[in-house]
Amino acid sequence: MASIIDIKEECALQVRDFEFTYKGAAEPSLKKVTMPIAKNSITALIGPSGCGKTTLLRAFNRMHDLYPGNTYAGEIEFEGRNILNPKEDLILLRTKIGMIFQKPTAFPMSIFDNVAYGMRLQGIKNKTELGDRVEKALKDAAIWKEVSDRLKQDANGLSGGQQQRLCIARAIAVEPEVLLFDEPTSALDPISTQGIEKLVIELKERVSIIIVTHNMQQAARVSDYTGFMYLGELIELGQTEELFVTPKEKLTQEYITGKFG
Amino acid sequence: MTAVQKRILINRIALSFSTLSAIIALAFLFWILGVLVMKGMSALNWNIFIFEGAPPGYEESGLKHALAGQLILVGLATSVGVPLGILAGTYLSEYGKNSKLAHTIRDISDIMMSAPSIVIGAFVYAIIVMPMGHFSAWAGAIALAIIMIPIILRTTDDMLQLVPGTLREAAFALGAPKYKVILSVVYRGAKAGILTGVLLGIARVAGETAPLLFTSFNDNFFTTDLNAAMPSLTVTMFNYATSPYEDWQQLGWAAAFILSMFILGLNIVGRLILLAGKRK
Repeated sequence: MASIIDIKEECALQVRDFEFTYKGAAEPSLKKVTMPIAKNSITALIGPSGCGKTTLLRAFNRMHDLYPGNTYAGEIEFEGRNILNPKEDLILLRTKIGMIFQKPTAFPMSIFDNVAYGMRLQGIKNKTELGDRVEKALKDAAIWKEVSDRLKQDANGLSGGQQQRLCIARAIAVEPEVLLFDEPTSALDPISTQGIEKLVIELKERVSIIIVTHNMQQAARVSDYTGFMYLGELIELGQTEELFVTPKEKLTQEYITGKFG
Repeated sequence: MTAVQKRILINRIALSFSTLSAIIALAFLFWILGVLVMKGMSALNWNIFIFEGAPPGYEESGLKHALAGQLILVGLATSVGVPLGILAGTYLSEYGKNSKLAHTIRDISDIMMSAPSIVIGAFVYAIIVMPMGHFSAWAGAIALAIIMIPIILRTTDDMLQLVPGTLREAAFALGAPKYKVILSVVYRGAKAGILTGVLLGIARVAGETAPLLFTSFNDNFFTTDLNAAMPSLTVTMFNYATSPYEDWQQLGWAAAFILSMFILGLNIVGRLILLAGKRK
């Protein structure tokens, strides 16, 4: 019944018959999800609470592996291999597929050290290189002007919106291929939200983006493709404009017109 | 009398009773501190820090031996107890989590915390002093470390669990291996709390007498030999205060004053660190 369009662009990720079951659950939380994720585009995942959109997002960087007992089935192809393979190097995978969380997650250290964190993990010690790349990441995340004179200060002194942009800077500093956004603006005020959305659109030049959002307007504003999920299934994936104007599935239509949610 | 007036009256009575109880409790505390400060201050002089123990009646008699012994015992106990406590707490919070083993360790540790310290002294006497055949600083320090471990273990466990899980996830999402996540993010987030736990743990054992009585025992002379009996402020205080000699009793007061100030200082510093950590 699902209506999944073929995308024109190259794929960053390809999900095939993906199923995910939480530890101890009788039923899988995600059922036979098949979807392409276009390269250098923004794919939004929408749907009512509990539909599995965050669960799907957290499968892309195997975040679920932090909590033992969850099981995957099916395939997620990335760079020509199935990343659900138990032998997948998760440390390497996570440097290529970064994540931004719902609440800003500034580490309890200086602004500079926050952005340098991922690079230092990769063994970059050279001070000039670190300095240059921190500056570049902060500029790319549109926060350099606000923090350039206080890089040594504690990152927790920044506002929520600034912290979220700092987290984006930290994620892009390691030059990932894909960025996962898990409701990145739900804890922010409208002006900070606008800033993050603008930034997300700019970033697709360099990375492929998947964004989970509760806010349909946000999906319509920023994304190229939108996937509508309901009860663990991907009901429809289409170009954002088409999905919102002429949805192919009745469920999608009902959801976007507010008949349930 | 209306219902509201009645409630106001009951409220006043309850308030006066609880205020009175608080005043009585605090009065005893300040009474103890007052006597300690008066008697202790008057007994303080430079000789205390310069001379070691001497028979009653000698001018040149001090507490140097007990002060040094106390520092050595507490220092040794700290260097054993703090790493063990922090590492075990880290295991509980970061690895064991809600497993059966972790819960068992937490329960046992809570029981250990309320175990009478003299029992721990007897235990160390049986496993170290008896086989070695003599009292030693090692035995005393190990007894103190055993008392310290559950305190530090639980505070470390509690403080690490206060670090939000999303912070850990964010570090994992950048490709950090688990040990790095703990070292560079989780410990940093819990720094103030862990340090406070350590200071409170030290303060707790610094005032112990019972477990030292039959482990490090006592000595009236300055020594740094860890394989021999070692004097401590607490046991010296006990001996001097219960002696019939006026000058020894004076030294006992001085020892009580110095020890109390040391422990009070540790507690205050611990609380200040926690407060400063919270404010951030």
